[in-house]
Amino acid sequence: MKEPVSRRSVLRKISAALAGLATLPVAKTAQAAVQKILVSASLPRGYDPKKHKWVMAIDANRCIGCGLCAEACKRENHVPEGPFFRTWIERYIIAKPKEGSGEARGETFVDSPNGGMHGFPEPPVPKEDIQHSFFVPKLCNLCERSPCTQVCPVGATFDAPDGAVLIDPKYCIGCGFCIQACPYGCRFLSPVTKTAEKCTLCYHRITRGLRPACVEVCPTQARIFGDLMNPLPEDPIQRFYQDNRVQTLKPHLGTGPRVFYAGIDKEVR
Amino acid sequence: MKRLHLPPQIVRLVLLTIGIVGSYLVARYFLTPPSFGEYGWYRGSALAELASRDQVYAGTKACDECHSEEYQKLLGNSHKTLSCEGCHGPSKAHADNPDVKPEILNYSHCVRCHEANPSRPKWHKQIVARDHYTGDRCTECHLPHQPSEAP
Repeated sequence: MKEPVSRRSVLRKISAALAGLATLPVAKTAQAAVQKILVSASLPRGYDPKKHKWVMAIDANRCIGCGLCAEACKRENHVPEGPFFRTWIERYIIAKPKEGSGEARGETFVDSPNGGMHGFPEPPVPKEDIQHSFFVPKLCNLCERSPCTQVCPVGATFDAPDGAVLIDPKYCIGCGFCIQACPYGCRFLSPVTKTAEKCTLCYHRITRGLRPACVEVCPTQARIFGDLMNPLPEDPIQRFYQDNRVQTLKPHLGTGPRVFYAGIDKEVR
Repeated sequence: MKRLHLPPQIVRLVLLTIGIVGSYLVARYFLTPPSFGEYGWYRGSALAELASRDQVYAGTKACDECHSEEYQKLLGNSHKTLSCEGCHGPSKAHADNPDVKPEILNYSHCVRCHEANPSRPKWHKQIVARDHYTGDRCTECHLPHQPSEAP
């Protein structure tokens, strides 16, 4: 059965098409309204994440283990009370080898009581039995090929173009995969927000031209912060490379950390 | 033109598929944030949200705006690498409104850095506080802004 093409049917089709076209702007407005709820903030004026590459250098020779950095981080970022840290200080104590053991070094003790925020207690080894001891500040290693972002099932964590590894708190579902994936133990599940949290390099500070809080308060300049794309005059990062033999943590994992260390032993992982 | 006659189950299947794919496309159109994919496979505006947090530490530059005299004293002496807020506490609220006082300074703060500890580097000046002085305050003998000068 074939319907004859009538004037009425043609007109009906044309008006339907016009109505369909008219819904497009309506849909656009509705979309904008929905997305207004999702978008609220904008980057500080003049900050383009593609024009920066942040790095951190840690000179462990200069760290005195005062814990100001760990405390400043907690306060600046409102990190929850308890064993949750975005940056912390580890104390390494390498004992003298036992006499006649034929070894160069003794046992290694590592501790970080309360992240080193309130100093360190008496060492677990008598002072005269210590061969070597030092402090190592730890934080997110800003990996070039970050394992934590690869495992996120919802795309909540990502490598920002400026080198920071960040978490979108609105997308994070708190599954904890990234916490297991980080080989440096730099992430934790916040008991307050129930999402993963980590060092953001104080993203709200660096985008305003300030240094991260830990770098700001460090009294000995053990923490050095820099931008590879816009080096400062007498760039502290370049000087750090000139003055030290530099290494990264767990280089064999191929994560490509952008936090560089000087003055640490092979015992540090 | 001959009309194509499909079996009804096929028509239903096609309609169902169109319905599912269509509703997915509509949902994606409305729910994907506009900044998604701005920098990569994530929400670009997440960067702005993280950047919009409030500061707690103002930074030494902000202190220098009003307290430059004290800051210059500090710079001319061996405590020059110290930040104001390391000892005086986070002061963004104070920098925004001078009526809000920063934290009251704890006079036992000095030993946080200078108490002897075998893990501290040798170049760093250290004391055993209980052997060093039994009085109340380090500031009785030392000027924190100019540690190498006697008061």
